[in-house]
Amino acid sequence: MTNTLIAAIRRTNRIIALLVGLVLTGTVILIIAEIVLREVGISLGGAEEISGYVMAGVASWGMSYALTELAHVRIDLIRLRLQTRGRALLDLIAIVALAGVASLVAFQCWPVLEKTIERGSRANTALETPLWIPQTIWLSGWIWFAVSACVLVILSLVLMMRRDFDQADALVGARSEVELET
Amino acid sequence: MIFAVTASLLGFLALSIPVGIVLFLLGIGVDQFFTPFPLLRGLGQVVWSSSNSSTLIAIPFFVLLGEILVRGGIAEKTYEALDKWFSWLPGGLIHANIGTATMFSATSGSSVATAATVATVAMPQAEKLGYDPKLFSGAIAAGGTLGIMIPPSINLIVYGFLTETSIPRLFLAGLVPGLVMAVAFMLVTVVLCKIKPSLGGQSRSFTWAERVGSLRHLIPILILFIAVIGSIYAGWATPTESAAIGVVIAMLIAAFNRGVSNDMIKLCLVGTVRITAMIMLVIIGAYFLNFTLTAAGMGRELKDLLTGLNFSPMGTLMVVVALYIVLGFFIETLSLMVATIPIIVPIMTGMGFDKVWFGILLIVLIEMALITPPVGLNLYVVQGARKSGRLSEVMLGTIPFVLVMMAMIVGLIFLPQLALFLPDYL
Repeated sequence: MTNTLIAAIRRTNRIIALLVGLVLTGTVILIIAEIVLREVGISLGGAEEISGYVMAGVASWGMSYALTELAHVRIDLIRLRLQTRGRALLDLIAIVALAGVASLVAFQCWPVLEKTIERGSRANTALETPLWIPQTIWLSGWIWFAVSACVLVILSLVLMMRRDFDQADALVGARSEVELET
Repeated sequence: MIFAVTASLLGFLALSIPVGIVLFLLGIGVDQFFTPFPLLRGLGQVVWSSSNSSTLIAIPFFVLLGEILVRGGIAEKTYEALDKWFSWLPGGLIHANIGTATMFSATSGSSVATAATVATVAMPQAEKLGYDPKLFSGAIAAGGTLGIMIPPSINLIVYGFLTETSIPRLFLAGLVPGLVMAVAFMLVTVVLCKIKPSLGGQSRSFTWAERVGSLRHLIPILILFIAVIGSIYAGWATPTESAAIGVVIAMLIAAFNRGVSNDMIKLCLVGTVRITAMIMLVIIGAYFLNFTLTAAGMGRELKDLLTGLNFSPMGTLMVVVALYIVLGFFIETLSLMVATIPIIVPIMTGMGFDKVWFGILLIVLIEMALITPPVGLNLYVVQGARKSGRLSEVMLGTIPFVLVMMAMIVGLIFLPQLALFLPDYL
């Protein structure tokens, strides 16, 4: 049960990351198109504004992938000197702190969208983008990050109570940059 | 408050809580204990406005560019080509290490991937040819730090973003100091290997035909660099747009080298998302921390402390430099930059120092932080790729290069034109 759930979260986050990457590629193409058209005298406009929204979405939706890939930087000087149980304890503290902060951020980000919807705010630009669109995408990324983190807390607690420290380490441990690159 | 914040920063980091999360926790702490305002209510707005940025999107673009070059096999080809050109020098392959790291630094932001790639390609050769592992791996670790100085540099983008400094000017200002340091790294290697030939391995010679033949692997990188940097200064493109241009050219080079496949593209994309999210968690966390620190009057407290010392501007500069060297031992570099810039830079500019110049000085200090133990990211990257030997060997090997960086700091202080003449001239 835990294993299938872990595999499912990993797979989901990988698909999300791939989609986010494709959106980034799309933004590259949009920007190139604008440069080319500008040089021949046609002003498309809007690429700059859209790339800002994309950045907000990339940041929030990428968080959960970085989480399940153990990519959020941790200073593991002390952790490396501990035995299995000590490491597991630090990993648990880290994931609980992360889940707490992620939930708080998601919770505090909601009022931003709420106000936008109440006021029907639009961007102060030529596109007059209704801001609820980019903000909904952005907020849902943070919510997914918070949800993933909370699920990881539960899963790692279960694994640690079963004394399955290897699996727990694979789930919420720390990795060096090089291990990530390969 | 300064003491409480610094102590909890180090404490939380020691607990191995993710760095970005630590910054959020400190911000929440400052809000709870040091201000009467309900700052937490501003958290959502801070997160939105700090990540909705068409400037910051240059970061994933440059990361993607680097991923394409590394995963497209271009880094390896560059290394082989530079080996042919530099192997006659005392220190042989070590120059290829520095050169490859420098060239990749110049075209991408992903210094970790670069250092990892160079280390993976180079290490087997080092053993075979009898190089001293200390100097050899130290050169890769140090060479990799040049990436944050030579444009395009993600760290300079972050500095420009936080201090509202012109990123094109910062890029120009970093060029000369970056190249000077690369050359100085090579000179130091030559001198060391002349004094103690056992540091360098067997020298090999290549024919001119082989060298010229290898040029086809160097020229595309050069074109990429000129296109990215040139398009900014020709006024065709903003830094973000030039990054997009760079991604397209890198893709063309990789395709030309037959390095493109479905899997390779997937790996590049998810790798970019992973690195970007990691960077953004730190940036957003630091942004929130600064928001609370500003409200709690940390800037004033620190300014009072500094002015209370009654130092001249030069004295204050020395204190700040010493502060960064010490903090650089312990704090991860990106968080160090993002957490301190909004407080330190206004104080320094208030004393009459140039914002662009200080940015370059700061980058040298950050480069040093990347290779000084116990927390020096590049040391671990190189050690991780070596898969044998001890971390302390890499640390020892970086010492000559740390000395070069210190000389650079002194140079920048007494000769600010080193950084400023190019942006002022153009």
